[in-house]
This record gives sequence, structure tokens and C-alpha cells, in this order.
Amino acid sequence: MLNVLIIGVGQCGNRILDAINKEAFGGSTRLSKYYSRQKFPSRVETLAINTAVNDLKELRFTSANDRFHVPNLHGVGANRTVGKQGFWNNQDMIMDEIEKRGDFDIAFVITSASGGTGSSFSPLLIHELKNQYKNISVIGIMVLPFREEGSIYLQNAAFSMRDMMEVETDGLILVDNQYLKRASGDIATAYDNINNMVAQRILFLIEALDNEMLSVTDLGDFKTVMRGGMGMGTIGFYQADKKTPSLASAIDNSLKPSNLLYPSNVYEEAARAMIIIQGSKKYLDVDVITTVVEKLSSNIGHVFKGIVVKKGLPKVLSVFTLEQAPELEQMYALAAQAIQEEKNRKNRSKKQLDDAFAYIEDLEEIY
Amino acid sequence: MRLIYLAVLVLLIAPVMAGSGDDDGETTSREFSLRVDEGVKIGEYRVELINVVSVMDGLIEVKVWKRVSEFEDWRVMEDHRDSNFDEGADRGGLTLTVVEIFDDDTIRMRAEYRDDYGYPRKYTTERGLAPKNLPELIVEKKFDRTDISVNDEVKVTVTVKNVGNDTARNVLIFETPPLSQFRYLAGYPPKIKSQLAPKESDFAVYSMVAVTEGEVLVPALVVSYADAKGNIASVSSSSFTINIKPKRKPNLDLIVEPVPPIEHGGTGVINVTVLNNGEASAYRVEIKGETTPADGGIEVTKGSLGKTYFEIAPGASENYSATVKGSRSGNYTATIKANYQSDEVIMQKEVSFEIIVLERPYKYLYFVLVLPVLLVAFWIFRRYKEYKY
Repeated sequence: MLNVLIIGVGQCGNRILDAINKEAFGGSTRLSKYYSRQKFPSRVETLAINTAVNDLKELRFTSANDRFHVPNLHGVGANRTVGKQGFWNNQDMIMDEIEKRGDFDIAFVITSASGGTGSSFSPLLIHELKNQYKNISVIGIMVLPFREEGSIYLQNAAFSMRDMMEVETDGLILVDNQYLKRASGDIATAYDNINNMVAQRILFLIEALDNEMLSVTDLGDFKTVMRGGMGMGTIGFYQADKKTPSLASAIDNSLKPSNLLYPSNVYEEAARAMIIIQGSKKYLDVDVITTVVEKLSSNIGHVFKGIVVKKGLPKVLSVFTLEQAPELEQMYALAAQAIQEEKNRKNRSKKQLDDAFAYIEDLEEIY
Repeated sequence: MRLIYLAVLVLLIAPVMAGSGDDDGETTSREFSLRVDEGVKIGEYRVELINVVSVMDGLIEVKVWKRVSEFEDWRVMEDHRDSNFDEGADRGGLTLTVVEIFDDDTIRMRAEYRDDYGYPRKYTTERGLAPKNLPELIVEKKFDRTDISVNDEVKVTVTVKNVGNDTARNVLIFETPPLSQFRYLAGYPPKIKSQLAPKESDFAVYSMVAVTEGEVLVPALVVSYADAKGNIASVSSSSFTINIKPKRKPNLDLIVEPVPPIEHGGTGVINVTVLNNGEASAYRVEIKGETTPADGGIEVTKGSLGKTYFEIAPGASENYSATVKGSRSGNYTATIKANYQSDEVIMQKEVSFEIIVLERPYKYLYFVLVLPVLLVAFWIFRRYKEYKY
């Protein structure tokens, strides 16, 4: 059995973690936690870490024991420097909390790239996890902000993503709020939908990695995929319906940009991929799967395929790493522009203040 | 004026002349019958027949007296001979003649007297008003019961009493032939003393048994007797009707007091009353009882549901009780049967009643209901605490 640790850091990470816990309850109603038990496919331990206690209080499906408030902090105000200091000050306490949950084969650290706590804590946390648990694979799940959310968020996203790559994470799965927002109406609904989508895919992935398959993919394959390309990728998912139960179209749909968590053209930008197909045996035509996978392999690098026989219509999860990410580059450009503008604004303000103070430069207070 | 004096003189003299002519008034005769101790009033005279001395000889004894005078004359008269009293009718007295003597008691007489004495008027003499020395019997025939059914024994009492002031002689009872509706046992025909002194009574009793039902007319009983002179008289009792009912039967009622529900493992008492509602005794009463289903869920621990009695008289009742223990819950039916006899006829009565043995009271049974609620509440609270931060 796979031992999995899922850590949600910061408000965004906490909420996605809560969505995962809700999904484990069956994900039906808000009251499901009162009459149901969580059914994780493997031994899964969860932990929500935050510096803002109010964010922790908002969680509904994460047990109190799985919520850790970093003491003496009331949020870091989107300031990664403050956040990093807060982590270092409480590092032992945080690691002890994780250590209570035993040993793990893989850890997912879910965080927003733009926030304060998540973006500052997550790279340091991953670094510590890699140090403390030598054989553990740590996968970061990083949520990119709406581009119009503000310059600080863009700046945080840019620097935190770089930090994540520098701490040698075993892979970074990108989730782009800006991209996923198009599928939802208002912001609140969009957040909920994004959180649920991520939760559903993560649990599917864990189940697939810890299942007896007709065609085997395992944690090792997953690691290999995540190490490909830029070391960052995303996840696609598609569930066939009764009208179009075709397996080939389901696999194709899972690779389409509309079903990815981060905008990408898989056939042109992916480096490695893993396709996990689940469904009733009558839908699982190996020839069709092989044909589709071969087609994908001819365009990108290696493609692992896993087939899970489970009653129901076909579900396809595609995990792949990117060889190139134009969207990311655009975001960094925006971030650089935002930083420059922020710097200019600050300089202007400072100059204005200096000019103002110049009026009283040689004067003294007289009483 | 002379004429006026003459008229006044005539008016004064006329009544005097009329009064002085009484002695020379016209007489009349009238005939009438008389009984001994009867009399007739003729003017101021009273003529009373004292006795018929001899019918054969035509002799009677009369008494003639005049009111408001000292005249009184006792005389034996011979029939068909005129007898003058107080100087006879021609001189203002009476002339009596016995026309005929009918019997010892009654005669016919003719009286001659002055016309202005009017018609003779009869009366009863003081002697006639005085009580006579004659026997007088009253007789009564009486049944000792009026509610008679077939096979009932009836005692008939015949009572004869002399309420006269002379001894009744040759007293004889004439009872009707035996009634077919009865079988006569003893004392029939009834007999009493042949002579009964004044105020003396005698009675006779005989018994009989009613054999057929229906209405029976009990005829009058006749008693004949004679007085001192040998005169024979008779008297009879009243006739009456009786109704002989059908044969009396016993009728047993088995009355069971309602048995309250018995607690599981508890006991209950069954009280049975055997009441004879009938009109005859019930003999050899044998009562048996049983409970169904006979699964041992209910058992008699004290007393018995059965009982025997040799006789239960009409209107009488017997009581007995039994204690039962309910060891298994359920509804049980107890049946009590009574067999009894009357005149070799066997009769039967049966009564059934329900005995309920309650379910075992599980005092803490409500925990079964409350516990899940508590568990759910505890579970919800635990979950709430688990997820409350």
C-alpha cells in the first residue's frame, strides 16, 4: 500500500486539501462528514498548514488534528520574506507535526504560487521534507494566480515557482486559475470548481498508483514522468458519458486543453506522459488504447499507460510534463513588468516624500 | 142570625156524631202469610206467630197484644176456626182465623178488623231477631302452594268450622273424584269428625303430586250436616283454578370474574361461581377446567379449575378459586365445563374466558430506542469536535 502525505499550505493549499478530504467522504453534501468515513485509496495523511487561523477555521472536511496553525502569526500579508522567516522560526514544530504522521512514499505539497504563506513556506517545506525523508518523492502542486490579481501576487508567483524548482522538487504540477476561470462564472464558483477538479484528479492518481492494473503504472513511472522536460507539468482528465462512451475519444478528450489544469498543447509541448484509463472491461479495448498511446508517443517522448478495470464508464487521467511552457514565460514577463512598475511607483513615492521633506531640511522645531 | 147559629152548631156537632159512630164502624178482613217469629201490625194490634204446634193437628201458637195498653193474649189456635181477640172485630178488636198451615214454619191467616185499622204490615218479632240455636259450617279447601310444577307435591288442607250456636251433626265431606292431573299419595279422601260443636273446627290433609302440566279447575268441596231437628244443610268451598307449570329444571350458571392480565412470571386468581338459576336442584355437579394452548405457558399452582358438588339447590351458589401462574406471554383461553344431573337427565354448561399473560417487562427496553439516538448524537458530536477548529 502506498503511503501518501498531502500537505496544503496557505489558504489556497488548505482549500484544495479540504476539497480532497471532501472528495474522500464521497463529496456529496456538506453533512457527509457526519455519516460517512473517508475512503482514501491508499494510506493517506493530510495536513493543512497556515499562518492565518481564520483560513484554517474555514475548512469543513479536514479534521482539527490535521490543521496546523503556525504560532504567533496572523498571516504574512503576501510578504514572502515574512513568510520565510515564519517558517524558519517554526520549522521544528512543523516538521514534528509531519513526523507524527509516519513515513511516506510520496508527498504532495499543494500551494498557491502567489499567496504569502503558501508561496514562502512551500519551497522551504519541500526542502526540509527532502532532507528528512530521503527516499520520499515530493510533488508540488502549484496554483498560478489570476493575472489581474495584482503585482505582488504575480511577483510572488514568479519567485516562488523559481524557488520550488531550486529546491529540487520531484515535479511540479501546475494549476492555472486564470486558465480555469473561463469554465466558471463568478470567482467563488470558479475557486470551488478548481479545487474540486484538482481534488478529483489527485485522488484518481493516487488510486491508480496503488491499484492492481491490467497494464501496470506505478510510483516509479510517475516519478519518471515528472522528471521529464522542465520538471513541471499538469494533469488532464475526462470521463466518458453514456452518449459517447468511446474509449478513444475519452483519451483524446483528456489531452485536450479544455480538460487540462494548465493550458498546453500536449502533442507539441509535452515531454513525457502517463495515461491511466479506468472503466468496465467491455470498454477497455487494449488495441484502441495502444493505438492512441502510440500516436501520442510518436509526438512526445515516453508515454506510460495504465489500465484499471473498474465498473463504470471510461475515465482517463493524463499526467505529463512540459518541454516548453509559453504561457509560463508570458506570466514571468508580466511579473517582471509588474515588479518594475512596483519599483517605479515606490521610487516615485520616495522622491515625492524626499521633496516634501526638503522643505524642512534646515529647519528645527520651535516651541 | 139564627141561621148562622144553626150552621155553627152543625159544624160543632158533626165531628162528635162521626166519633160516636166508631163502635158501629164497618169491618174488613185481610189474608196474609206468616212465618214463625214474624208478626203483623194491624192498627195498634200486633199479631205474632210463636210456633207451629202441629201441622197434622192444625194447631198454632200466636200472641196478640195491643200497643199502649195492657192487652196481651197468648193462644193456641186451631185452623179454620175464628178466634176473637179483645172482644173481636165487631167490638173493635180482632178476629183471626188460620186459613192454612204450610209447614212447621209458615202459615196463612185471615184477620178481620175495623176498616180504619188499615192494611196489615209485617215485621220480625223480637224473638225472631234473637239468635237461633242452629249449626252453621264454613268450609275451606286450600293448597299449600300456588306455584306448582310437574312433580311437585301439593298438600291440600280441608278445614271445616262450625260458626253456628248449635252442634252440627252427621258432618260429611263430599270431595270430587280424584283429579287426573294429580297422583294422590295419602289422606285421600279427606275425613273429619261427624259432629262439630259450636266454634269447633276440624281439618283433613291429603297430599298429591302434579303429573301433567296445564290449567286445572279445582272444584268446590261440599260438606253436609244436620241440626238438632235433623234438618240437613250443606255448604261448599270455593272452586279455584291453578296452573301446573312444566317440570322444574336446574340451570347452572358458571360465572368467572374477569382475570386481570397476569405479569410474566406472576400469578392471577380465577374466581368461579357456580349458581343454580333453575327451579330444581342440580345433582352430581362435576366441573372440569382446561387452558389452551396447552404449551405450559400457564399453570395452576393453587387450587384447581375443576370441582365437584353433590347438590346445588335452586338459587344456591358455590364458589371456588384457582391460582394460575403465567410463565410464557400470550393469550390463553380457559374453558370450564360443568356436567350435572336432574331426574336422570344429564345437562352441561360451559364457559370460556381469556387469560392474558403479559410480555416480560424489559425495564431498560427504552434504551434500545434511546441508545441509537445517543450513539448517533455522540457520533455527530464527536465528528463535530473532530472537525471543529
